[in-house]
Amino acid sequence: MLKQKMKRDIKNNLSQFITIFLMVAIGIMAYSGIEAYMDGMTETAKVFYEENNLQDMNVYGINFTENDLEKIKSIKNVKNAERKSSINATTDNDNTLLLNIIETNEISKFYVIDGEGFSNKDGVWLDNFYAIENNIKVGDTIKVNNDTKKVLGLINVPDHLYDTKDESELFPNRKTFGFAYVNKMDNVSYNYIMVDLEDTSKYNETKEEIEDSLSNVLAVIDIKDTASYKTYQGEIDEGKTYVGVFSGLFLLIALLSTLTTMTRVVQNQRTQIGTLKALGFSNKQILMHYIGYGFYISLIGAIAGLLLGYFFIGNVFINLEMSFFEVPNGKPLMNSVSYLVAALTVLAIIIVTIISVKNILKETPASCLQKKAPTQKSKNIKIKNDKISFSTRWNLRDVLRNKTRTILGIIGITCSAMLIVCALGMLNSMNYFIDLQFNKLYNFDYKLSLKNNLTEEELNSLKEKYGSATSKTYGIEIKGLDDNNLFVTDASDKVRFVDKKDKYMTLTNNEGIYITNKLGINENLKVGDTITWRLYGTDKYYTSTIVGMNKDPQNQNVTITREYLESLGIKYSPDTIYTNKTPEDDANIELSASVEELKKGMDNMLNTMKTMLVLIIGIAIILGTIIIYNIGILSLTEKTYQFATLKVLGFKDKQIRKIFIKQNSWIAIISIILGLPLGYALTSYLFKVAIEEHYDFGAHINIISYIIAAIGTYLITYIVSNILSKKIEKIDMVTSLKGNE
Amino acid sequence: MKENYIEIENLTKTYKIGEESFNALSGINLQIKQGEFVVILGPSGAGKSTLLNILGGMDSATSGKIIVGGEEITSYNDKELTKYRASSVGFIFQFYNILPSLTVLENVNLIKDVTKTVKDAPEAIKKVGLEKHMNKFPSELSGGEQQRVSIARAIMKNPKILLCDEPTGALDSKTGAEILKILKKEADEDTTVIIVTHNSLIADVADRVIRIKNGKVESNVLNEKPKKIDEVSW
Repeated sequence: MLKQKMKRDIKNNLSQFITIFLMVAIGIMAYSGIEAYMDGMTETAKVFYEENNLQDMNVYGINFTENDLEKIKSIKNVKNAERKSSINATTDNDNTLLLNIIETNEISKFYVIDGEGFSNKDGVWLDNFYAIENNIKVGDTIKVNNDTKKVLGLINVPDHLYDTKDESELFPNRKTFGFAYVNKMDNVSYNYIMVDLEDTSKYNETKEEIEDSLSNVLAVIDIKDTASYKTYQGEIDEGKTYVGVFSGLFLLIALLSTLTTMTRVVQNQRTQIGTLKALGFSNKQILMHYIGYGFYISLIGAIAGLLLGYFFIGNVFINLEMSFFEVPNGKPLMNSVSYLVAALTVLAIIIVTIISVKNILKETPASCLQKKAPTQKSKNIKIKNDKISFSTRWNLRDVLRNKTRTILGIIGITCSAMLIVCALGMLNSMNYFIDLQFNKLYNFDYKLSLKNNLTEEELNSLKEKYGSATSKTYGIEIKGLDDNNLFVTDASDKVRFVDKKDKYMTLTNNEGIYITNKLGINENLKVGDTITWRLYGTDKYYTSTIVGMNKDPQNQNVTITREYLESLGIKYSPDTIYTNKTPEDDANIELSASVEELKKGMDNMLNTMKTMLVLIIGIAIILGTIIIYNIGILSLTEKTYQFATLKVLGFKDKQIRKIFIKQNSWIAIISIILGLPLGYALTSYLFKVAIEEHYDFGAHINIISYIIAAIGTYLITYIVSNILSKKIEKIDMVTSLKGNE
Repeated sequence: MKENYIEIENLTKTYKIGEESFNALSGINLQIKQGEFVVILGPSGAGKSTLLNILGGMDSATSGKIIVGGEEITSYNDKELTKYRASSVGFIFQFYNILPSLTVLENVNLIKDVTKTVKDAPEAIKKVGLEKHMNKFPSELSGGEQQRVSIARAIMKNPKILLCDEPTGALDSKTGAEILKILKKEADEDTTVIIVTHNSLIADVADRVIRIKNGKVESNVLNEKPKKIDEVSW
């Protein structure tokens, strides 16, 4: 019979139980979904790396011979090694392909999406994403550097998850750039040896052995330092911060709200608990009965949350990621922590139920049947000012008497407002960054990367055509710091610089080195300090004084003027020209990138981000709505008697509704006041902690975003309260008053 | 002459509210025989309900003894008290305390979950005249009907004692009389019925009338000629 009672009680208080269900489901969905997405990212790549044998290191050098390869293979810790030549090639429609020439394919093995695997056949294996973007099918022919090649297979390769044409391109443009593999080519000069190690913990020893045994090695690069690997891993690391912040917040709000609701549900059953006790039900029977209330609902909620988390949130996010990273079989992965969190959520609800019921059971049945003795919180607050309207007084007292409910409401709505500000703020900040990078700092339309070793004549003819704004980037080693880049500028105002307040600055000091702000902060360097550095491939060290600091949103490096470089006795031979002229085909230009195209790439990334942010805002709004609904329902249930009395006294429904809505409006306003600055703080925190080390941009939230968040939050509160308050019209004076006895 | 079924010796109950304590019962001595129809009278706050609650195992005594059917219930622990409530006592409250989410039949059947020695539920319901409302919810019933559900629920377990706290307090005179008739019938079937009320008119129909004031028994009188219920009105 008690089961029947439970079913009916749940049915009669359906809105409260639906709230509990939704809270648990959404909280766990958000948590487990984001977790499943992050773990799915990690696992998907791990499987791909393992199954397709990603190399452990890349040996970069000049013209590796078969003999060099054998030498490396003979090193004890080397499991296998393969030569590769990587060069840029152009296609018939002026796209660029990163063309790899390999002899065998045991390391970084192809994952064949369509067509056939690696063989000695004459043809080309093509980047699957590039093929899709350019509508190329297996069997089609494409032109690679004037050679016509038949496409043998469309592939993914573990060291090409993410390729950008050039480092200034933050985001790959698969329409114009992709990778390709062939098995032979005339006059190949192998510039890479991919090495698979037996024991990766002996990485450094092996690296030294390789450097000692070959003279033509320029650098040995850990695979973990390569762009493809690093970007993917960065995405995971970045995501993990969001996981902590967002999923934790969602879960917290949901849990807080569920637990309060459950406590209230039990408290409202006080007399019935007394009745059951009086009838002779044992404490255990009563306890089990009430545990059932929260248990079944939260269990179903938790299961629904896990399923939605995996299939909805997990899949949506993974699929977004997999449209940027070329990894096959991307899928979310539900880890045991998510199950544990789900189980703990259900457990928490059971524990809270037990505590609430036990508190009532502690009393004698006689006292349970009486009205709860007045406690401290029921003390009436004296409001002396007669000018304060009745509804304000009524609400003021009600809020103060129900502090927990009010505080919970404020926490919940504050979090919602905060999340909305943060989501919009992230978008604003990204837009600000794009504007800074591509409009303020880049004062050119095209960036032309020049071929190596141009003669003075060739260079001058290019300068004549495209202007003399040039630069050169060197790889350098700074003593005591990580490897870095030295940017030598001779671009006058084509490449501009800003200080940490984003105000333009010019690099005029020709007697020292400029470092970026973030590098200075990270390495504890300031103007006046000195650093000692050398160019890669040379042995000579230079000691330079830091003469200024500039802010670079994308790369943390060091910059000097051409004059300073030359004063050190190093010849300036530019590798880049910046121009506003549309470049023509030129054998001496290796690559040309247009700022418009770079921006387009960024827009793509922003679109992904938008989808994620829309989801976050969506969940925030749903949670906010449920919380408002929840506190509304709680206060309505508890206040039915008082509202019935007001009705009896002749208050109009409209007046009572106004009283009711007023309280929620107050909560909304307080929450907005708290939520907006917290939203800024959260955004700043995310930009500080979550973005990769080499970025430097903070939160820049537009006023309009605050206004949207404020109005949005208020509107939701108002609408939900308004809908809820309709229930006041349905309060039957007689039954409600009788029921209270 | 029947033996005493309930014996109360020097029963006290002290409540503490904050720093102050207040004696609800200060030394009650009573004997009640099996099958007696007892009315306990007294003004509000006299201690009637407290006495009834302790007698029913719903509250504990501060000192003194209550012996019911030879068992000292004041020495019972929580578990024993629960068993006592489940098997021996039927409660009828002024405000019925029936579960709003269960139908009449279900409310009565609920007793099956606490004790095995039960009447047939429809039979108990018939006895209180609610057979036509078996599947209705409490909200669909009048006050008198709800009180009858509460009586059906109480007699369902064949209790030795029926404890009634102002059973007619919320009812009109006619309905109240009907409720009293049902209770009287139970007493005639050898159930000890104890009614707590501040309505002295009910006293006329009782076998024994006990008056309580300030936590003490003021008088304890056997009614030689109880009136028939139809003869009284209030």
